[in-house]
Amino acid sequence: MDLLAKELVYKPDTEFHLNNISFGMKKGEIYTILGRTLSGKTTLLKAIAGLVNPQSGRILFDGADLSRVPVWKRNIAMVYQQFINYPHLNVFDNVAFPLRQRGVSDKELKSRVYDAIERVGLKDFESRKIQALSGGQQQRVALARSLAKQAKILLLDEPLVNLDYKLREQLREEFGRIFTSEFSSESILVYSSTDPMEAMQLGGETIVLDEGQILQQGPASEIFENPATTRVAEITNDPAMNLLPGVIEDSKIVIDSKMKLTIPLHFRELSSGQYTFGIRASDISLSKKGHGFTVELAEISGSETFLHARHDDVSLVGQLDLVKNFNVGEAVNLQFDAQKLYAFSADGNLVSSPFQEFGRG
Amino acid sequence: MNFKHKYLFLFPGLLVLIGILIFPVGFTVRLSMSSWDSFFPGLDYVGLENYFRLFQDDSRFWEAFGRLSFLSVTTVTLQYVLGFALALMVWKDIAFKRFFRVLFLIPMMTTPVIMTVIWKTFFHESLGPVNDFLNIFGWNPLWLSSEILSKVTVIIVEVWQWTPFMFLLLLAGLLSLPKEPYLAASIDGAGPYRTFIYVTFPLMAPISIGAIIIRLIEASKIMDTVYVLTSGGPGTATETSSFYIFIKGLREFQFGYSAALSFTYLIIMIISLTIIAKVLVRLMIRE
Repeated sequence: MDLLAKELVYKPDTEFHLNNISFGMKKGEIYTILGRTLSGKTTLLKAIAGLVNPQSGRILFDGADLSRVPVWKRNIAMVYQQFINYPHLNVFDNVAFPLRQRGVSDKELKSRVYDAIERVGLKDFESRKIQALSGGQQQRVALARSLAKQAKILLLDEPLVNLDYKLREQLREEFGRIFTSEFSSESILVYSSTDPMEAMQLGGETIVLDEGQILQQGPASEIFENPATTRVAEITNDPAMNLLPGVIEDSKIVIDSKMKLTIPLHFRELSSGQYTFGIRASDISLSKKGHGFTVELAEISGSETFLHARHDDVSLVGQLDLVKNFNVGEAVNLQFDAQKLYAFSADGNLVSSPFQEFGRG
Repeated sequence: MNFKHKYLFLFPGLLVLIGILIFPVGFTVRLSMSSWDSFFPGLDYVGLENYFRLFQDDSRFWEAFGRLSFLSVTTVTLQYVLGFALALMVWKDIAFKRFFRVLFLIPMMTTPVIMTVIWKTFFHESLGPVNDFLNIFGWNPLWLSSEILSKVTVIIVEVWQWTPFMFLLLLAGLLSLPKEPYLAASIDGAGPYRTFIYVTFPLMAPISIGAIIIRLIEASKIMDTVYVLTSGGPGTATETSSFYIFIKGLREFQFGYSAALSFTYLIIMIISLTIIAKVLVRLMIRE
């Protein structure tokens, strides 16, 4: 491991921002830190950068302790969620700033700056003032600056969160291209996000962070397929995975003592008892054979409809592949795809997933 | 809305403008073309005679002007450097930040004439505490009666009195700076010194120019300090333009001539300050 964090603790007031965090990262890899707002993502990146000093724990890079190295001496680049640039400099000078600080020769500086500016798609904008750029372009400048620096660690803290939807989609795609095809094998890239889609799209390793603790770490697809706990299942799905308390009895799944489902094949090893069942919003569909629910809210987004529905104490969100206006209070029949059900034990740990079988009995 | 008599409403404002600006300036110009003095009072007309006298025969005025330029540029430069340094000191979180901020402002809140009297006592060559102390080392500098040192004394007093003003403007500027470029600069590998050179200083340029111009305008009117401290002496070693105009007008009562001096001085100041402002903008703000 090239970047090692050991038992980082940061508690500036009564709450933990980082609660005993340890991880290892390898050069040439992309890491996504996935977590809700206030989960500690920004603090963790700032700790790596040196902008935040953890009260205990150590960060080692290439075997050397970074704790006592001031920010400006660490070879790190960072892009923030706000578009942070130098307002008094033009695009070229903004991108050249970190290189000038390190005394890079004029010729190399020029080639690296022009190269970075071209990679983020801002060619011919070199002499523009920062204020004359749109938000998306400002963020590209910030990204170009971090790329030109060719830092050993590149930190991106929710770089797309403050952009509008269209631009976010477009930049996300470009980011994927820039990072995967052109990123140096000598560097570590750490990307933080609240959006599971981004983690999936970037691939690489995902670290799920919640309340300052790492809940799960592994390849993005692995975490998506087999979330270790109910909390991970919520964080790694958007909308969050529906979690329904229920029991298995007489070879049936019973949710809220009324809804009965045939037990799917991958649950066959599970013994009778209390479970929390998980079902993704996208695995819920309208069907006459389904269970009766009452519509509480319906939002249309693009070509999909997000349906918030309730049946007594069971409320869930379905992501339907159609555009339809539902009235509040309308009765609908919703069917769960039992083959896609997850089962979590009463204390929240995954016991069975459609992708893998877990602890028997 | 097209109201025919809308300009009527501008009249009160125009009246005030005429009263406080246009009439005094116009009267000064007219006065400068008269020979009004204590012997022959009255607005006679002598044409540009006073101006010929000023440009051809009065080297004392031009010397005073050169001295004024030297004094104001020197004092404002020192005020800027010191004010900036003090502002930087209390900008970041230090212990007793508020206490120091107020402390540094105190000289500005005192009355200049009274403080100058106190400074004069300080620097008194045989009775003042400064020379009392320096006598220990066998020194007895002539703070008020040496041609060079008297200028130094004026500079010290002016800098002491007005650095707080510079400090105040620059601190306000520093506190209004965006935080983000500093985050970027530390990540981008700029240490404290380079951050100041490449981030703080350029970001402060517009405010700096404003502060320097305001102080230059004020400093070019140096009068009370000189009047109390040295009365322009020894000889004319610390005589400034405004002090010389005061002597001509209110000691020798050559109203016509001092009006010509005042008007000439006003024109020179407007031109030179405009040029200085333009040069500063060119120097401090890179396009």
